[in-house]
Amino acid sequence: MATSTYLSNPTVTVNSVALTGFSTAATLTRTNTAQDTTVFGNTARVYSATIEDNELTVSLYMTYAASETYATLATLVGTATTVVVKPTSAATSATNPGFTLTNTYLESLPVINANLGEISSIDITFKGGTYTAATS
Amino acid sequence: MSKYTIVSELVGTPGEEFVPDEGINVDALIWGGFIKSDNKALKSAKTEPTEENQ
Repeated sequence: MATSTYLSNPTVTVNSVALTGFSTAATLTRTNTAQDTTVFGNTARVYSATIEDNELTVSLYMTYAASETYATLATLVGTATTVVVKPTSAATSATNPGFTLTNTYLESLPVINANLGEISSIDITFKGGTYTAATS
Repeated sequence: MSKYTIVSELVGTPGEEFVPDEGINVDALIWGGFIKSDNKALKSAKTEPTEENQ
């Protein structure tokens, strides 16, 4: 059994706006695209790092009230911004790092996603950007 | 340099100065009503009426 587990309860900040209270899921994936550099004589595939291709996907409730979800995201479509996700709301530290994507691009925004009798929620994806993990 | 004031508590403490971090889209924050710009519009220069522009 694991000696330590983590009950999901992250904070989500998009373009300096705290969207934690609207978010239900967040996945930030740090990717460094591999380039196959296998050559004759190798007996196993060899890969080398090329360029980072990071991504943050967030699920959140859609609201159109003043200064909430839509107001945060509407004018970010087609632009780059900064997003921060932390495991908990505690102060940033080595055990609660602030995972940040700087200059990450929001390609699209579902401006409405409505189903009869359901609370509207949307999924958005920030593509690219420089990854850092702040510990202080 | 432009100065901004926080309006929404989702950005910080309302009334305090907002200092954007690297990569923050300030125009989007103003559009969404999260902050406001403290820059006052420049007054246009007054022109005294002359015979030529009357």
